[in-house]
Amino acid sequence: MIRLNGAAQEKDFLARIIEESGQNLSACIQCGKCSGGCPITSAEVGGPRRLIAEILYGSKRQALEDRTWWHCVACGTCMTRCPVEINVYRVATALCEMAEREGIAPSEPDIHLFEELFMKSVERHGRANELRVVAGFNLRTRRPFKDMGQALTLMRKGAISPGEMLKGSRADERISRVFARAQRKGTGE
Amino acid sequence: MKVSYYPGCSLESTGKGYDRSARAVCGALGVDLQEVREWVCCGSSAGLKMNRLLSTALSGVNLALLEKEEPSEVVAPCPFCYRRLASAQEEMRQDPKLKGEVQEVIEAELSGELQIHNLVDFLREKVGLEAIAARLKKPLAGLKVVPYYGCFMVKPGQVTGCENTENPTSMDEILAALGAEVLDWDFKTECCGAGLSLSKTEKVVELSGRLVREAAFRGADAVVVACQLCQANLDMRQGQAGIPIIYFTQLMGLAFGFAPSALGLNHHLVDPLALLKEKGLIG
Repeated sequence: MIRLNGAAQEKDFLARIIEESGQNLSACIQCGKCSGGCPITSAEVGGPRRLIAEILYGSKRQALEDRTWWHCVACGTCMTRCPVEINVYRVATALCEMAEREGIAPSEPDIHLFEELFMKSVERHGRANELRVVAGFNLRTRRPFKDMGQALTLMRKGAISPGEMLKGSRADERISRVFARAQRKGTGE
Repeated sequence: MKVSYYPGCSLESTGKGYDRSARAVCGALGVDLQEVREWVCCGSSAGLKMNRLLSTALSGVNLALLEKEEPSEVVAPCPFCYRRLASAQEEMRQDPKLKGEVQEVIEAELSGELQIHNLVDFLREKVGLEAIAARLKKPLAGLKVVPYYGCFMVKPGQVTGCENTENPTSMDEILAALGAEVLDWDFKTECCGAGLSLSKTEKVVELSGRLVREAAFRGADAVVVACQLCQANLDMRQGQAGIPIIYFTQLMGLAFGFAPSALGLNHHLVDPLALLKEKGLIG
């Protein structure tokens, strides 16, 4: 197997992802049930089987730039069907944290932007302000009127109201502190 | 019966109908939902992916608040909030180092013994079908539905404890107890596209569209959901199918005699009111 002959750095990559994800990737038999059931695997997005193969072969750069873990919605189908019970969304977290630490540009900027705006909202207010996250995302991607027709219908029906965007504008310092402490620990300080 | 209630962020915004109908139905069944006021966001799928310690700590804040309540038991209508609370507690049980770090970050101790339920299983198991049937005023006769469970409430089974992740039946049983005609279909736990709705809209149109087309093919009048994200995706991204996407709690409320507006049934993009009128379920 190639993975046993890899350079020390590559073996170290596999060991670190195994440790940080808590998933025994060495037990993967590449059966492909994960990608078979995965909702986001497509011609463009390689899927979990391929992602795990990249990690096993020590292809660190390829794995950190793989679009699969950006697209992963944490549905849990792969783990449910995996014969050795690998939880791929835990692997996604380990890769995301490592890519961030090593300054690797997100291979899916839009998904990254949405997730970042969402977490910023939580960091400031303790809760996600959904409408503000949506509006912020549409503005930043320069499509301010995306889904506007449907949004107006929902407003007319009283399902949502623009005033909600102002809700929770007070900062929740309790949660800002949790963010600060967790991020400090995450960088090993 | 008293139990803590963790609604989550969406139920204050795009999922108000779910919150409203859940509270109405639980009230009618004698369940006293106690919302823990200082709850925080669980971080959702964004937090889960970006930072393990932070995501676990956010649920840690909620767990610490909820553990203090009596009884130490919570019901979460949002499947993601439910699964994140449960998985955070379980991961900390398996990994004492993580638990130690979380306790430092949140400056609180955790016992790790909170009982955590999703709303479907809570109503099916803890309240029970008999109590639900006993409350019935207006059976949903003639309404053909497919129950859609989505992912987070059932998968992965190792995390949720769900024994039949390909074919769960708890919501089917509740709907049957309400007198609805529950149709069989294969897409009960297929993914709707979840959090990609904004950033990869075309993917969600593909996945949600496929689900709704299958429901129509089976002859369903409506798809019944237990998740506000499933509801939003199937409602917004279904294309021209015109199939209403209704919360199971809204149907329970209707069968218990609540007015549609008290359940948020007037909030959906694909209007279910015309259908319910045609079936003689509302005036």
